[in-house]
Order: sequence, then structure tokens, then C-alpha cells
Amino acid sequence: MDKQTIEEKMAQLEWYISKHCLWQYNSRGWDREIQNERILGKTKQLLCGEKAVEDNGYTDRYYWSEAMTLVYEFKRYFPWLAETSKEDITVIFQKLKEKMDYTMIKGSLNVELLKESY
Amino acid sequence: MPYHQFECSECIPERLHHAVDKNPGEQLTDALPLGYLNTIPGTISERGCAYCGAKHVIGTPMKDVIHLSHGPVGCTYDTWQTKRYISDNGNFQLKYTFASNMKEAHIVFGAGGMLKKNILEAFHAFPNIRRMSIYQTCASALIGDDIEATAKEVMEEMPDVTIFVCNSPGFAGPSQSGGHHKINLAWLSQMVGTAEPEIFSKYVINYVGEYNIQGDQEVMRDYFYRMGIQILSTFTGNTYFDDLRAMHHAQLNVLECARSAEYICDELRVRYGIPRMDIDGFGFEGISDSLLKIGYFFGIEDKAREIIEEETARWRPELDWYAARLKGVRVCLWPGGSKLWHWAHLLHKEIGVDVVSVYTKFGHQGDMEKGISRCEPGALAIDDPNELETIEAMYKLKPDVIFTGKRPGEVAKKIRVPYLNVHGYHNGPYKGYEGWVRLARDIYNAVYSPIHQLALLDISKDEIPTGMGFETRQTLSDIGLGDEIKNSTELRQCTSPYDPIPRLREKLNTKGAYLFPDPETGVLREVPTERLWKNKVVGTKQ
Repeated sequence: MDKQTIEEKMAQLEWYISKHCLWQYNSRGWDREIQNERILGKTKQLLCGEKAVEDNGYTDRYYWSEAMTLVYEFKRYFPWLAETSKEDITVIFQKLKEKMDYTMIKGSLNVELLKESY
Repeated sequence: MPYHQFECSECIPERLHHAVDKNPGEQLTDALPLGYLNTIPGTISERGCAYCGAKHVIGTPMKDVIHLSHGPVGCTYDTWQTKRYISDNGNFQLKYTFASNMKEAHIVFGAGGMLKKNILEAFHAFPNIRRMSIYQTCASALIGDDIEATAKEVMEEMPDVTIFVCNSPGFAGPSQSGGHHKINLAWLSQMVGTAEPEIFSKYVINYVGEYNIQGDQEVMRDYFYRMGIQILSTFTGNTYFDDLRAMHHAQLNVLECARSAEYICDELRVRYGIPRMDIDGFGFEGISDSLLKIGYFFGIEDKAREIIEEETARWRPELDWYAARLKGVRVCLWPGGSKLWHWAHLLHKEIGVDVVSVYTKFGHQGDMEKGISRCEPGALAIDDPNELETIEAMYKLKPDVIFTGKRPGEVAKKIRVPYLNVHGYHNGPYKGYEGWVRLARDIYNAVYSPIHQLALLDISKDEIPTGMGFETRQTLSDIGLGDEIKNSTELRQCTSPYDPIPRLREKLNTKGAYLFPDPETGVLREVPTERLWKNKVVGTKQ
């Protein structure tokens, strides 16, 4: 998959998340980093056929549930995912994570993100 | 995404960074309205105060509680019958409101003694109510009354009562949002962990940030019960005081209004390891996704899918009837906080209207991030608008209807724009599949009301047509509509009854309506009806 196609595919996934997923908007920057890391990481794993379960705790189960829902919707909205190789999915998700970290954290104009405690 | 300059606010330069036009191709990193800041001198804000946020939004929906304001009687008036935070056991919280009625003499000589007298009087007047919340106001905060000490004194004298004290005076924050924060943390620190509940299901949640506006909580309770999930507490609509003391026993916090209640979820996550799952209880797609992910969490996604399929099949033809007739209708989505993002995308996608503006009165920048992301390009996003700005926006954007509260709603009506009350609702509940159809019906009725068409005429200058025949909403809405829509045998108008809540309450008493998996064995079985109405508390401590 060439660079431009990867960018286009990534933009589609980002569009879906920005419209539908509330988990990206937790109110602290450090919290958003964890959300992006865990949920996007598990979503990528599931799309690549991996189990994406670390332990039996509620916390891991929560991230997994968000990821499972995202996988379900991604497949519904973007049928091209079914024909995309694991390698390409990995690259697309790397780009997606970078973009979301920038939009929602590093480049965000939301000054509340810098507060430490809730 | 340039900042939007209101002409009426050119004399208040600080206002420039509180409004943004969402243009195609632009990002949240280009511009974001400021938010949750002190109101700028010279602008007339429509916000509530921090006391209002703590008491009127979050505290008072608790249904078995004497809610007492320690302050002048005026502070508490708005709680009395002006909210629609209903309950399923008689609406005590709506019928009665309590204030210590502070006067000048109390300001000078102290009000502690008078407060104690009030507390005792209230408990004696209502011997069946053994729980109380006391809310500090500006007046009692400024004179430094020690409300906790008075409450402790009463609890020692009356061991069967429990009192929660919320110190959130009106000035303790830029808006009511400051009060949300304060009562969230106060409840967590004072009350959570002081009651032990009986767990009757393998799946246990707290439903947080839900206030049972016209029965919203009861709609969602039905879905959760159908999935076999026990609701340990709802923070705070249609809930019992003691349920909220046992929040620490949930496996998952399902969070609806993050603006008012994310704080307690975040702290429960940190202190007790209970995950926070944000959901959308509005819109077909929003609620379907939400039920599905809750289902995944507990491993009961098949149950979620059953509900999604059943409810969608039942209500989709009715939603689509309205969507076909509301396509392109211009709306301003101007609620207080969370509905700007709960609704922005699904109003457009599922009901067909164009959201031309979003605003929030007390939201933070995070709420604007969500709202701007979810609305379509071309929308104007405004933080904490003053009245002149909203009037200017309406003249410029020419909306067909405004979704807002009753105060700005009446302003809209004066310039002949109909409004829907999205705080207390017009004909809610609006949650769930049926609720979303009820909202579509209310939008339709507002936009196509023949009376409203008459209001658009100015008798001082417009020619008044005299040859027109009888008009109905449908004759107005169906102009230009294709025959395949007009003559469709599949689409139909809303069949939801005047009040859908009694049906849900009746279901609680119906044998076999809900089955729950045993916490130990997982075997599905019925639980006693009374448990569906009220959780059993097996132990409390002060």
C-alpha cells in the first residue's frame, strides 16, 4: 500500500473515531494517552487476528470492549479492512495513533488537558 | 477554523475567542473556543451558579432525601416543580423543597442554631424520610457556618438519620459546572463506601450522569434489566441515597453525561479500579453501539444484539417517517452541556436536520472538542453566549428551530423561531429508540405547526393571505415530497403513547419479564420484584 493510500485510509478511520467515540475525549492529557494507546492498540491486534487480552481484570476488559466495538463498526463502515494485510493495518494504525495523539493531546488547544488531577 | 466575531460583542474583545466557525478541512488544533472561564464583565451570561450545579442538577434527583438549602429561601425556589427529574415512587423530591430561610439577623449573629432547628423540624415533619442533603449557599459560606458540625450533632442525637453536606456556594466556580465538580468529589469522599448492597446479578453497574428527565433513566433501566444487569446506583436520577453509598461495588461505571459526572467516575477508577465507559443513550446508532460495548464487557453481546434488533425493527419506520420530512431543516443545538455532543451527529444522520450552530453555557473545552467534531462543517460553535449574541446568530443563521432551555427559548420565540426544551424536554423521554422518535416528532411539530406559520407574518407590514384553505402539519411538510415517501406503507408516524413510562413500571411487576444470572453460579433466574424497584442495603456505617 503506497503512502498516499495509507494516509487516506487512516483519515477514514480517524473520521469515524472523531464522530463516534467518546473514549478519546477524557479530560486530562495523560488520560488520553492511555486511552489512545490501549484502545487503538487492542483494535489493531483484533484486526490482525490477535487475542488482545492481557489479564482478567475489569480495566483490561474495558479497553477490550471498546476495541471490540470499534472493530465491529470499522468492518461495517470500511469493508476494505477485510482485504487489507496485517502489515498494512499495522502501518495505518501507527499513523492513526500519531495523528490522534497530536490532534487530541500534543497539538490540542484544550488547556484543561495540562491539569494533573481530576 | 477562524474565531467568530459577533458584531454585538465588538466592544467586548475577550469574547472573540469564545466562538468559532467550523470550516471544511479544518482541525480542532486550528481553533477551539475558550471555555469554563469566569463570565466577562459587560456580557450578560445565562449560566447558573455553582450552588445550582451541585443542588439542582445533581443533588435533588435523589428521591428519598430531604434536600435542604442553608441560605435564603430564594436560592432553593427553582427546585420546586420546575425540574422534570421524576422518580418512580411518588416524586417526593419534586413535591417538597426545604430552605433554612436565612435572614439579616442570621448573617450577623450566626445561623448554626437555626440550621439545627430546621433539620430536626424537617425530619419530624417527614418521619419516613431518614436521609438528608444540606447545601451550602453564598450566604452561609460567607459567614462560615460549620454545617458539618451541625449535621454531626444531629446524627448523634438521631442515630437513624444520615446527612450529607455539600459545600458548593454559588461563587465557587465560573458556572454550575464548578458545583458538579464539588458535589461529585464530596459524595465520593463522604459517602461512597458507607453502605453494603445485596448483589443479585453477575453483572453490576453504576449508571452515572443520568438524571431521569421525564423518565430517561427508566428507559435505560429496562434495557439493562433485559440484559440481566443490576444497576447498583444511578448517579443521581431516580435513585436512593443509600444506593449511591454503595457505588464502590460496581464492576463498571457506565457514564452518560460526562460533563456533570466524569469526576466521580474518574475517582472511582483511581480509588477502586472500576473502569469508566462513556456511552450515548440517544440516537439509534449511539445507543446500539453503547449497548453492544456494555454487552462485550460482560460477555453478553448477544443480549445486546437482541435488544438492538427488536427496538430498531419496532421504531425505525417511525423515525424514518420524520427524517424524510425534516431533511434540511436548520437547527441550533443550544443545550446546557452534554447534549451538544450527544446529539450533534445523530440529529443530522438519523433525523435529517442540519445543525447550523452548537453552543454550551457551562461546558468546558472538552465538550466543545466533542461537539465540533460531531457537527458538520459550516456550524458556528459558541461558548457561554450572551443574549445579544444568540439573537445575532439567529438572524444570521436563520434556523427553523432552536433546541435549548426555557429562558433562551422564550427569547427565540420573540423573534419567531420555535424552540424545543431540551433540558426538561417537551414530550420526553428522549432516550432510547422510542425516545429518539419522540424527539423527531417534537421537532416536526415545532417546525410545521400551522400556528407557527401564522407567527411568521408581521401584521404591521405583511399582506395577510385570505384565500388559503385549511392547513395541517402534514400539508405543510409534504409539499415537494416524493410519492414513494408520501404513499409509503412502511413508514408511519410516532405511535408512542402520551406517557410511555407507566408501561415500563408495570413491567417491573410482571413475573418473568427480566432474568438475572446468579452472581455465583451464573444460572438465569428471576429476582423478587421489590429488588427491581429498590436495591437491598445489608449494612451501613456513618
